[in-house]
Amino acid sequence: MTRQTANIDQQQPESPDRRRLLGVGIGALAAMPVAALAQSGGSVSDAAQSEGSHVADAPTSSHTQDRVEFRGRHQAGVTTPRPTAGMLASFYVLAETVDDLERLFHILTDRIAFLTMGGRQPDLDPKLPPAGSGILGPVVQPDALTITVSLGASLFTGDLGLEALRPRHLTQMEAHPNDALDPALCHGDLSIQFCSNTPDTNIHALRDIVKNTADLLVLFWKQEGTVPPIPAVPGQPSESARNFLGFRDGSANPDSNDEALMDRIVWVRPDQGEPDWAVGGSYQAVRIIRNFVERWDRTPLGEQEAIMGRLKASGAPMDGGTTEHDVPDYSRDPKGEKTPLDAHIRLANPRTAESEANLILRRPFNYSNGVTKSGQLEMGLLFICYQADLEAGFLTVQRRLDGEPLEEYIKPIGGGFFFTLPGVRDEKDWIGRSLIEAHRKA
Amino acid sequence: MFQLSRRSLLAALATAPLLPGIARAQAKPSPLQLVRPVAQYKIYVTQNVRKLVADTRVFVAAVKGGKIAEAQRLYAPTRTSYEKIEPVAELFSDLDAAIDSRADDHERRERDPAFGGFHRIEYALWVEKSTRNVGRVADKLMSDVLALQTRLTRLTFPPEKVVGGAAVLMEEVAATKISGEENRYSRTDLYDFQANFEGAYKIVTLLRPLVERQNRAFATKTEANFKAVFDTLAKYRTAGGGFVSYVQLSERDRRLLAGKVNILAEDLSKLRGMLGLN
Repeated sequence: MTRQTANIDQQQPESPDRRRLLGVGIGALAAMPVAALAQSGGSVSDAAQSEGSHVADAPTSSHTQDRVEFRGRHQAGVTTPRPTAGMLASFYVLAETVDDLERLFHILTDRIAFLTMGGRQPDLDPKLPPAGSGILGPVVQPDALTITVSLGASLFTGDLGLEALRPRHLTQMEAHPNDALDPALCHGDLSIQFCSNTPDTNIHALRDIVKNTADLLVLFWKQEGTVPPIPAVPGQPSESARNFLGFRDGSANPDSNDEALMDRIVWVRPDQGEPDWAVGGSYQAVRIIRNFVERWDRTPLGEQEAIMGRLKASGAPMDGGTTEHDVPDYSRDPKGEKTPLDAHIRLANPRTAESEANLILRRPFNYSNGVTKSGQLEMGLLFICYQADLEAGFLTVQRRLDGEPLEEYIKPIGGGFFFTLPGVRDEKDWIGRSLIEAHRKA
Repeated sequence: MFQLSRRSLLAALATAPLLPGIARAQAKPSPLQLVRPVAQYKIYVTQNVRKLVADTRVFVAAVKGGKIAEAQRLYAPTRTSYEKIEPVAELFSDLDAAIDSRADDHERRERDPAFGGFHRIEYALWVEKSTRNVGRVADKLMSDVLALQTRLTRLTFPPEKVVGGAAVLMEEVAATKISGEENRYSRTDLYDFQANFEGAYKIVTLLRPLVERQNRAFATKTEANFKAVFDTLAKYRTAGGGFVSYVQLSERDRRLLAGKVNILAEDLSKLRGMLGLN
């Protein structure tokens, strides 16, 4: 798959309306460095730009035309850079036959193509409801949107007759000892992850899909999140975003630009004993993890750092180094005198030869939902991770974390396991094709 | 991109001929053609409101007589005539609020003095298990229902409200009924579902000759979706013609109903435009 923001020239549609639009300056974006486009989220105009503007003027962004190619061997939104805003929506699938399911997959493919590439909504008879919500205006801006479709275990175990094709490790998420799972926030037949520069772009895409799949999908639960942008400093290595505990989250994430590494850690390979149709897909583990932030903020800094296993300000490991990119050497600290043995990052990734098999690719967002009945903030982490093997990946890592000191400050309340479908390879392909074809052949 | 969107358009035409069918549609029906279905709908409403008045009279008498078991038995069947004609009954928002508001429409919920109507009595019958506090509420319900009858008799039915009413009923079910929050004390929600769907189906049936001329596939698909809904609800009928408790609705059937409500709401939202109404 093309992991870069697509060049606009290649995307130029042949519709006269679109061409005219591109002609008035958006085409200039094509000349911008790809990395700059792909890495940054929506930018907020600074004070200097705001001269002469008015209170309710829309904030401006130079990234509304960012496009992330959705076609390729793998779906976008997994190893492509995480933008500012994310949303995970879980659905019930109402398809009663595999033909219905195929129809759903075709609709989703068409909507994903339109929403991620952008374009003008069709004009309908004004006596009819409009084609879309219009919340992004009549011309939909791609805004770096990715839409990633995954299937839950219940879709395979249901009446569609797909049980024989269920990915080997795809089961319904079970509670870990510290979990207090809310059934209204768990599982689902199908998940859609939306990622883009702004929450509104994700909401627009969700509403479009809900409208176009009314007889096939019923929304079950959703969780939105964001990650805070940081100032772009040329020449500085990139930094991991901070979570709502104030710590950097993602420092030890495997390099998503290393395709060979991603093939090993993230994408299902032919030699894993998985059904053939699943090759090129991935396991998606979602956890909605509430953080008790008031209590955390009343915890001494040294204790916070001992619980996490990193310095809060820099993200550096506790056995030396100055940045989050320095790697701890636990072999020289076998008793945990520098980094406690039960520190979060040490349990999650002990950095032994064996634990190499348990690496996962994290793609989390911070969420904030309001106020609890006790008057505390309801916020935390929308944890999303991807791996080629759910058992070796998330499940093994989480079992190591069970009982960690951090549990006093966190409470997983929802989520689920899903299988991210292989990519849409070309214009003739559609999402879920390999699964449907495998079923028809069987 | 262009090829793709053309392909999507063709696919959409093949699978769901409702969406872009405007260019191919027949000439819109003239306002005169709507006179007959609208008049027939007014008859339907008149019959239902007459039944509502009669049933409410018996229900109110039971409530005021402190006959809790009898009032409980009458509660859901009495409401159905109201639920069938909700799109026009709602045109009088003061009466709708007085007759059919729920506790969460009021800031102080069940304790709010403004909370009245059917659901306040429902609360008395199933939660308070006493009619001591609702004698005046019952009197007010009777007078509100009579006022509704008077106003509906005088009302010239606006065609767009009648045609749009089918979608309105589906939107109501989709937004605040499918969850079982309407009759939260009595759990008689399935009576309301049946009545709402019947009310919407009546409108669709009266308009079917006009709709079929515009878009036969639409008429066929809508018919099939209503049938799926009625078949699903029929599984929950009791011997006496009523319905079992909402809590017995299986999760699977709840989802199926939710999906059918959504697609009916989507499709019926095009009914006004299809018939050339604003």
